[in-house]
Amino acid sequence: MKIAGTDLVFLALATVTGTIAYVRLGPDAVLAAMLEAGSLLVLILPQLAAGLLIGGLVTRLVSKDQVARWLGGSSGLMGLAIASLAGLLTPGGPFTSFPMVYALWIAGADAGALIAFITAWSLLGFNRLIIWELPLLGLEFSVIRYLACLPLPILAGLIARWLVRWPAFRLRDPDEAQE
Amino acid sequence: MSGPLIFIWGAVAILGLLVWKREGVPGLRAGSVSALNIGRTLMLRLPLALLAASFLALIIPLEHLSRFIGPESGVLGITLAALVGGLLPGGPMASFPIAIVFMNSGAGVPQMVALIGGWSVFALHRLLAYEAPIMGWRFIALRLGSSMVLPVIAGLIADLLLGLRA
Repeated sequence: MKIAGTDLVFLALATVTGTIAYVRLGPDAVLAAMLEAGSLLVLILPQLAAGLLIGGLVTRLVSKDQVARWLGGSSGLMGLAIASLAGLLTPGGPFTSFPMVYALWIAGADAGALIAFITAWSLLGFNRLIIWELPLLGLEFSVIRYLACLPLPILAGLIARWLVRWPAFRLRDPDEAQE
Repeated sequence: MSGPLIFIWGAVAILGLLVWKREGVPGLRAGSVSALNIGRTLMLRLPLALLAASFLALIIPLEHLSRFIGPESGVLGITLAALVGGLLPGGPMASFPIAIVFMNSGAGVPQMVALIGGWSVFALHRLLAYEAPIMGWRFIALRLGSSMVLPVIAGLIADLLLGLRA
């Protein structure tokens, strides 16, 4: 197994935050956090596996040309709207949605569509609305919150398309990015 | 938890069937290999990322901030609430209970909209645990750049909606 720079970043981060937690809260708290992380990992593995498989299978089904036409750089506002709708309808947690973003990226969607997709998933996804927000924060608040967020994914997609003019925000080719 | 799980694996089965009908077993193998390749890069960093996120949730205390985001706190309160939302730890099961604490201790509705919006969009925890391992840091820079203003806009729209209703 090859160890990449990103792995070391996470190793450092886990070590630093773990040390701070240990010094401030003691070994019991650290142990509890480790157990929590472990059980979360077990919980998400089946969903992560499904997300990765969906990503892999989708790339077999849709051609690069199709995705580029619908969600590519010249897909306009319509492309952003389609991407937002797809994100809104994508169920499951981040372990499902990010593999799908990755698949769309490989398949030729542009930065604006990717951002619109993930923003719609995070702000407007039904899953969380129904399971968490409605029961815990109430109908009135949820309706106001949802309406206020409705136009935002397309806005984010437009901002992303504008930002990629600067090299710092330009996405690399998906194949080189996984280093 | 098992409802969504059945749903996604159902989607896997349907997609698998479609690929099999079109390309046969080689197509299925190619799809799985590309899934496995990403899975391999995640094998080490995902557990580490979850661990770091879990520790972070321990060491960032946020509940004390609720008095700064009351209904009278205006745009500044909305902005602060968006930031606080972004720092809320964990998935919905960890952060919604904290959101309730804020709501009950006097946060305004537009501020709460910005807080939930900030949690949805910035989601430090999700960023560390899933986004960085899968999509890389450049994508994160682009996404944060694109969505920086969104929670504040959501709060302002909510303020407007409340004004219309009153």
